[in-house]
Amino acid sequence: MTAGRTIALGLVLPLALLVLWQVASDREWINPIFYPAPLHVLERTWDQATDGRLAHDARVTTGRLLWGFLLGTLPGLVVGVAAGVSRAVRDLTYPLATALYVVPRIAMLPLVLVAMGINDEARVFMVAFSVFFIVFFSALTGVEQVDRECIEAARAFGAGRARLGLTVLLPGAAPAVFSGLRVAMGFALIVIVGTEFLAANDGLGARIWTSYQIFDFPSMYAGIVAVTVLGVLLAWALLGLEWLLVPWRR
Amino acid sequence: MVVAGALSLRSLSVSYGGAGGLCALDGLDLDAEPGEFHAILGPSGCGKSTLLKCLAGLIPATSGTIGLPGDGSVAYVPQGNSCFPWLRAEENVAYGLKLRGTPRAERQRRSRELLDTLGLTGFARAFPAKLSEGMRQRVAIARAFAVDAPLLLMDEPLSALDFQTKIAVQGELLALWRERRCTILYVTHDIDEALALADRVTVLTGRPGRARDTVTVPFARPRDYAGLRAEAGYPELFQRLYRGLEP
Ligand SMILES: Nc1ncnc2c1ncn2[C@@H]1O[C@H](COP(=O)(O)OP(=O)(O)O)[C@@H](O)[C@H]1O
Ligand SMILES: [Mg+2]
Repeated sequence: MTAGRTIALGLVLPLALLVLWQVASDREWINPIFYPAPLHVLERTWDQATDGRLAHDARVTTGRLLWGFLLGTLPGLVVGVAAGVSRAVRDLTYPLATALYVVPRIAMLPLVLVAMGINDEARVFMVAFSVFFIVFFSALTGVEQVDRECIEAARAFGAGRARLGLTVLLPGAAPAVFSGLRVAMGFALIVIVGTEFLAANDGLGARIWTSYQIFDFPSMYAGIVAVTVLGVLLAWALLGLEWLLVPWRR
Repeated sequence: MVVAGALSLRSLSVSYGGAGGLCALDGLDLDAEPGEFHAILGPSGCGKSTLLKCLAGLIPATSGTIGLPGDGSVAYVPQGNSCFPWLRAEENVAYGLKLRGTPRAERQRRSRELLDTLGLTGFARAFPAKLSEGMRQRVAIARAFAVDAPLLLMDEPLSALDFQTKIAVQGELLALWRERRCTILYVTHDIDEALALADRVTVLTGRPGRARDTVTVPFARPRDYAGLRAEAGYPELFQRLYRGLEP
């Protein structure tokens, strides 16, 4: 009963805004060229989803995003855990990582394009670069937060460095790593869309930007809807993975 | 230096942060017969946990000799909550066995058996977060017993438990100890608990810790925690230990 009430109340404002937008656009209180009505956007999204154009762009963006995510998070996890275990690795990596962490990711785009050319490698690298540090820091923090008692219990049973890392530090850091991954996924989405705005001919970011330039606003909104749906699906996928891999936090 | 035999510590010193650092134990002597239940009492911060960590191989001795019973292997119950949150109860218990390469079926059989003995039948698949504090300590104790080491090091394992639970786990612990015939070094700050459990009690001085007094507990087993206080000689023994804990 209360859960139903909570959901119902949460839906009131979004629905009201959509209705207002629909009416305002239909009655031309706002310019329907720039602000096409939601139903019109939905129709356009559906058309483009079914004729394959949107699907192609979604596929391209998802591919770049997932490759970048994988190529950034795996090294981030490994180096982060290593830095949590070894004082030397930590002292070596921490200052540089802290400095690079604060650079706004998209500000690196021109440099990356100069260095790598305008190609998919560069786009994937942009994503990988932007998620690497987030996962690095969450893994490092996660390892540092593992209870001393657990570490000492394992060492007293004779666990060496490798065993300790695999059976204690990694699972102990897993909850922190997953919250890092969720943040990283948000960053990855922003960066891939920003990168495609400026340096791609296909992908959802390019579709949004090109539609804007040629005044095809319904298509622009269709792209925004698609990016949003992609973000939600990826967030769910991560939650599912966490549910599988971190069962003790269920 | 570590030699095998009975538990025998001679002039054991442990410092944190090297020679010029903080000296936690200074010239500790201590002996325990094979199969003895030996309690360690001492004021807070005197180096009780340091002693167990040193014997568990977690921190090196600065000087002195350590003789360990049997094959020299030890099992350790750290102070505080040491269950692995990411392992189910039976996996926690089996952790040491897994490191030793015990086959899976044998691991499971032994951990289930220990969990049964400690009254955790039906909780084998539960994660520690789903268990009560008393159940978690039982899991940590079972994990230590699982590897069948000749020396068990227990650091205030029951100090966080309510009285009823404490009495219950004490009984289970003593039953396991009698069955396994291992030596137990049991750190506590509770005089009554030491007298209820141990064959002998050693009191440490304030930091840096050193053995101040060792008493033999004369009461017959099984001991009744409540009835113990009425035993002849109990008040004198209690007082002697109490005075030993004064600065
Ligand atoms: N890792 C450490 N580094 C430096 N000093 C420590 C460390 N662990 C404990 N100490 C110090 O050593 C002394 C003994 O500690 P501990 O063995 O934990 O005492 P107890 O268990 O008897 O209460 C205390 O003064 C404590 O502050
Ligand atoms: Mg202590």
